Amino acid sequence: MAGEYTPTILQGQQTSDDEILANMPLDTKALGGDSSVIIMELLQRFKVRDVMKRQIISVARNASLREAQRLMRENRISGLPVCEDGRLYGIVSVNDIINALDNGWIEDTCESHMASNLVVLEAGMPLSFALRYFNNYTYGRFPVLDADRKLVGIISQRDVMRALLYELSVEIRKLERKTSNNVLEHATNERYFRREWAVVHNDLSRAGHAANDIKGILRERKVDRSVARRVAVAAYELEINICIHSHGGVLVMLISDDTVTITAKDRGPGISDIEWACRDGTSTANDWIRSMGFGAGMGLSNSKRVSDAFDIQSEVGKFTKVTCTFNLTKPAASEQ
Amino acid sequence: MTIADVVKILDGKLMAGDGTSPRAVGAVVANDLMSDVLLNDSDDILLLTSLASDQAIRTAHIVGAMGVVVHNAKPLSETMLKVAADLGVPLVSSPLSKYDACVRLHDAFLAEERG
Repeated sequence: MAGEYTPTILQGQQTSDDEILANMPLDTKALGGDSSVIIMELLQRFKVRDVMKRQIISVARNASLREAQRLMRENRISGLPVCEDGRLYGIVSVNDIINALDNGWIEDTCESHMASNLVVLEAGMPLSFALRYFNNYTYGRFPVLDADRKLVGIISQRDVMRALLYELSVEIRKLERKTSNNVLEHATNERYFRREWAVVHNDLSRAGHAANDIKGILRERKVDRSVARRVAVAAYELEINICIHSHGGVLVMLISDDTVTITAKDRGPGISDIEWACRDGTSTANDWIRSMGFGAGMGLSNSKRVSDAFDIQSEVGKFTKVTCTFNLTKPAASEQ
Repeated sequence: MTIADVVKILDGKLMAGDGTSPRAVGAVVANDLMSDVLLNDSDDILLLTSLASDQAIRTAHIVGAMGVVVHNAKPLSETMLKVAADLGVPLVSSPLSKYDACVRLHDAFLAEERG
């Protein structure tokens, strides 16, 4: 054998949504089992434009740093965009002002000392992107540009937290009303077990975690090995489908005495020809999805193949709902 | 042929998971398309793939595969190692090409049959 083989491990991976949740200052576990689902939904549903401050206080490139200092002091802000006719040229921060005072260049123009190598967000990005940026960079705020690259807002961590806390309180009130009326919501119910996972559009770093959880739960509950495997295969294919083809949705598992049901429901775009979509090898996936090992057009047909009963409903522009049902059989003698 | 044997045969390194299982690998599935892998019905397979992503590990867990070998020394991400460790899927990195890895594993299966 030649010299010892040393594998490469990629460093500095992008922050996953799990890590974002783990780093949030809220004790989300205290909110109940569905809290992370709610937060994931919020992070995906809300865009940067929904949370950013639109009132922008800015200076021109030839304004002095002293003028910038005055504007920051009067408006109690710690960063000032340098902007003309909507175009962003740089940012002056409190640190730049302190350096200017220390070094005697406070009367110089903003352009000569501003930070011009900027990290920016786009107004249409999901809020989860903004949280990733705050985790990955040390900046306290990011300028927000529209599709025409014009400055349209500023977003800070405080803006994100304020919006999330408000929406969370609304969602929790809804959840409390719902759970008090629905006995099936209780995971501890002896006859039924129900659990729900949010699936976020295009987040392949998380896609599959629900199916892995489902397999673990079924094994813990001593469901027959081959049935558990079939349920997990269907759940995985449907989870990937929601992730790559829809605008986001949920995967629900319901276990009763004699069946396991997996329901995948998404928020569009819907399927115009269901028969075509269920055929082997038909796909609308792009190269990026294929590079992740999916998109060969096997998802729906695989789910159907492993299920004991299969149902699909869809409305173009609105939703797709797939229900796979599995009959529970007694564990084989060798597995008892 | 156990996972420990696979590591030796493919000049590989065990990167995550437990490689000490005494269970024997029954078949090798060499594939980069995860939907194809999900079509397999046996649960003593070894997944040989160039797909160096979390999805290879998650797929292996779903089908109950005995382990995953990523060939061609593809760089592995820290998240992939973490998912493999969390799900208990042995992850092996090998510098061999898919073809060479298949040939060596095939020869090893033949040698086992001959005793």
